[in-house]
Amino acid sequence: MDKIAIKVKNLCKVYDNSKIVDNLNFEVPQGSCFGILGPNGAGKTTTMQILYGKVQHERVEGYEVNVFGHDPAKDELQIKFVTGIIPQEDNFDAELSVFQNLLIYSKFYGLSKKQALPRIESVLDFIDLKTKKASKIRELSGGMKRRLLIARALLNNPRLLILDEPTTGLDPQVRHHIWNKLRVLKKQGVTILLTTHYMEEAYQICDHLIIMDKGKKISEGSPIDLINNNIEKYVLEIIKNISDFQDNNAQNIRVETSHDRTLIYSDNLDAVKEIADSFQPGDYYLRQSNLEDVFLRITGKNFNE
Amino acid sequence: MNNISLPSFAQRVYSVWYRHVLVYVKNIFSNGIPPFLEPILFLLGVGLGLGGFVGEINNIPYINFLAVGIIAPPAMFTAAYECTFGTFIRLEFDKVYDGMIAASIDIKDLFIGEILFAGTKGLFFSSAVLLVLSVFGLIESPMAIFTVFIGFFTAMMFAVLSLLVTSVVNNINHFNFYFTGFITPGFFLSGIVFPLNTLPKYLELFAQLFPLVHSVNLMRAFCFNSFKISLIGDMFYIIFLILIVGYFAIRRLKNKIIT
Repeated sequence: MDKIAIKVKNLCKVYDNSKIVDNLNFEVPQGSCFGILGPNGAGKTTTMQILYGKVQHERVEGYEVNVFGHDPAKDELQIKFVTGIIPQEDNFDAELSVFQNLLIYSKFYGLSKKQALPRIESVLDFIDLKTKKASKIRELSGGMKRRLLIARALLNNPRLLILDEPTTGLDPQVRHHIWNKLRVLKKQGVTILLTTHYMEEAYQICDHLIIMDKGKKISEGSPIDLINNNIEKYVLEIIKNISDFQDNNAQNIRVETSHDRTLIYSDNLDAVKEIADSFQPGDYYLRQSNLEDVFLRITGKNFNE
Repeated sequence: MNNISLPSFAQRVYSVWYRHVLVYVKNIFSNGIPPFLEPILFLLGVGLGLGGFVGEINNIPYINFLAVGIIAPPAMFTAAYECTFGTFIRLEFDKVYDGMIAASIDIKDLFIGEILFAGTKGLFFSSAVLLVLSVFGLIESPMAIFTVFIGFFTAMMFAVLSLLVTSVVNNINHFNFYFTGFITPGFFLSGIVFPLNTLPKYLELFAQLFPLVHSVNLMRAFCFNSFKISLIGDMFYIIFLILIVGYFAIRRLKNKIIT
């Protein structure tokens, strides 16, 4: 059996009488990449913050929170010492340079300057920011700052990385760059826990996912299992001239109408192709179903506010 | 090379202190010059201007009386600003603390480091005043060097008081009440520009509640080499205030940050 890095049992968090995290259970094996998916306000960030002691959970019966054998309520420092935390928003000292920020941060881990210097070189090299060593934080783009957050989290050679929406708001190049780096880290044996609402991100780098909504876990599995178990293989999206489609209760298909598109799902490619052929190219989009379809099906298509 | 063991409490507090020092020193020109200019302005404006009308206080020329009084207030002001506006901005706007406590630093380390940094600033500000006074020939006793350490404790005292206020406040503008209602009266009722025994008795007793009185008492004693038994009371006031208010301030801030 795989060794467990994180174990969470009966986890609850209540803010102002509303349950932000509601009886959550999951386990993260060491060396794996684990994703928490969910719409805004699902309780993803709160769950992560509980793991390193930033948020205190409720003490309900049978609860357990265990990160590498430590309970964050008691051993917050031990956990943070081996964990790199990458928040949603950057929190650097904007007046200082990249190097100074990293030097200060190394001190928080008790690294001497002699120990810190090669580490700083190494993490900047890893994340391809070596040329920005002397730059001020203000001079960095959003993508560079996010990469620098990752570099900072790597200073103490963490066993666990916790990333809160690591690529939200970034351009495709930076997103792929970050995904590549996370894959490399995983190969080196680092356990990765991330939240995201980019389905592609989850599909690309996560071994295992849970989908959360309103504080609850509503689905769990590998990305491919989640797709196979929850949705048909193919989707035909009809974008224009929707009214030309006649739903004749045909076999093998499932039809969903939402706003100004019609979605036709099927496991049978020929069935959807046949329908597609009756439209002009450009009126439709035929594709394999993906995690986003699963996500929308499970959490509902309406705004979650 | 990875560090295998957790940094000790002292290392963690030092790292927080070091962060503050580095950020402060970054703007050394704008941060470091005013502490030297302010006492000069004060001596010229109040000392020379007002001093001409006052003559002597307790057989001491007014300018000498005033000079010794102005070593303490900069330590108070710098700590009060640092741990109200400064702390609030780090907490709510810049989110600097969130970054720090994501490393192996806890809330206790964070604020003890901050209190010690405020103390260090107080030591620096009091030293600047003492240096200016010495250049002007207003310091006679070599024992006056101890005032810089009293400046250190004065600043820590106002650091903990200000952190307590910051733990309560949700709007940065509310600090105005603290400054107008507590810091400014504390300045005028601390025997700096006039001796407290010229006040009505009840007001003189009331003034003893203000922290700065005790710093000024101690500083005067060291500058004029005249020690009284009541100074022990002043010392205990300062030490107990730092410990007790500091304890509650950190506890309240912890509840504010760890939700």
